[in-house]
Amino acid sequence: MALKQSGNWIHRHNYNVRICHWINVLCFTYLLLSGIMMFLQFPELYWGDVGFRGYEAIFKLSNWGLTWEEADALGNRQWGRNYHFLFAWIFLFNNLIYVGWNLRNRHFFKRMWPRRGELHKDNLKEELNQHLHLRAAKGDASKKYNVFQKLSYLIVIFVLFPFMVISGVAQMPAFTAISPELIDLFGGRQSARTLHAISTLLLVLFVVIHVFEVFVAGATNHIRAMITGKYYLPTKEKK
Amino acid sequence: MNKKTGSLSRRNFIAGAGAMSGILLTGCDMDIYTPPEIRSGLMGVSDVLTMASQRLLMSGQGLVKEYETSDITKDFPAWGRTNPEDENYQQMASTSFTDWSLSVGGLVNRPSSFSLQDLKRLPPRTQTTMHICEQGWSAIAQWTGTPLMALLEAAGGVHQEARYVVIDTYDGWYDAYDMFDVVHPQTILAYGLNGKDVPQGNGAPVRLRVERHCGYRNLKFLKSVQVVASVEDIGLGKGGLLSDYNWHWYAGA
Repeated sequence: MALKQSGNWIHRHNYNVRICHWINVLCFTYLLLSGIMMFLQFPELYWGDVGFRGYEAIFKLSNWGLTWEEADALGNRQWGRNYHFLFAWIFLFNNLIYVGWNLRNRHFFKRMWPRRGELHKDNLKEELNQHLHLRAAKGDASKKYNVFQKLSYLIVIFVLFPFMVISGVAQMPAFTAISPELIDLFGGRQSARTLHAISTLLLVLFVVIHVFEVFVAGATNHIRAMITGKYYLPTKEKK
Repeated sequence: MNKKTGSLSRRNFIAGAGAMSGILLTGCDMDIYTPPEIRSGLMGVSDVLTMASQRLLMSGQGLVKEYETSDITKDFPAWGRTNPEDENYQQMASTSFTDWSLSVGGLVNRPSSFSLQDLKRLPPRTQTTMHICEQGWSAIAQWTGTPLMALLEAAGGVHQEARYVVIDTYDGWYDAYDMFDVVHPQTILAYGLNGKDVPQGNGAPVRLRVERHCGYRNLKFLKSVQVVASVEDIGLGKGGLLSDYNWHWYAGA
């Protein structure tokens, strides 16, 4: 590859991270789509154990410009249920393998665990400032994850992903026999459904920011790094 | 407050199962972990993973949570089909279902027919449970009815090779239930809802309660009960109306 600038190719992502990342992209896409297809055919959210059409709702899609009938016509819960459960299994196995592998090679500790001082408020303020001015990390700083990346990845992997699985499981009828305590833990079956939806929005927010940041930091270089593992680090730009 | 459920003791369960002339529900019976017909490709793998994992977790045949009567939802929804067009059904409805009867046939020792009064003479079970619709809604109601096991015993018990109970309804629905669900004490043919007769919108005169499944498998407007060794001759042979239309057969998720 001909490159005008001088620079080095560094190894950025191990193959396990790369494979699991792209499987997760596929899973997330299908889970989100199939979830929306199911939601459209019952486009309201409730709290507690009980909720049905006409019951006191905390969210109604009809208040946002789409009537029940219009939403129902767009949805397809047969397709939704089939693909939601299929990709939920793939998602679960993929992330168990990912977490197991990267705990074993200490990836989480070496690359994602915030270092001393990173969580200090001066540093947080400084890094937030960099983000808000869309200044991507350069040189050595670009070799590692910044503190907001670290925190958001850890929250997504260890908080939101497990929460999605558990709040999903708590909606299943079989769990009224297997573990009604799990359903009660969420404050009821409808609460579990509502929290599942809110948690979905948080994940969508993460994905939007994540993709945006990739473009800020250089889409070609970063996407290539997530495919091949190699990241091009220009030396000239170092200040 | 919600009442904590007790789980069925293993001894009661075995005694109950033993009373059914020879339903085998041993650990090596793989039937309870897989649908009658496994779909092709990854979808089939996903179905089996879901069903097998849940069945393993339910292997003690524990009861679903039963709520207090104070938890009962006012105006339990009448969802889906609420008025079968079937002429016979309309006729029976006009005379308060005094002419209604449920035929019990197939692999039972005494194929017979049960009127509403016959059903009510069998030992009833009342349970206050949460109905969960695959579409998304849920509500709590109290159901009174005859355990499916008690009905099959009243028909002389089932043959050794019995594997599924197929139920037909007056709204043209059919579905097959495996013995794991059939022997569960909370699987009842309900004729009472919240202390009254089951209203038409909720499946009058008798509907099935199979509590560990989504609402759509809790069939309404029951017509007949048939015990079979295989579902291949039922509908398209996939074990139920919705399975025939490429829905998953197992509906615990």
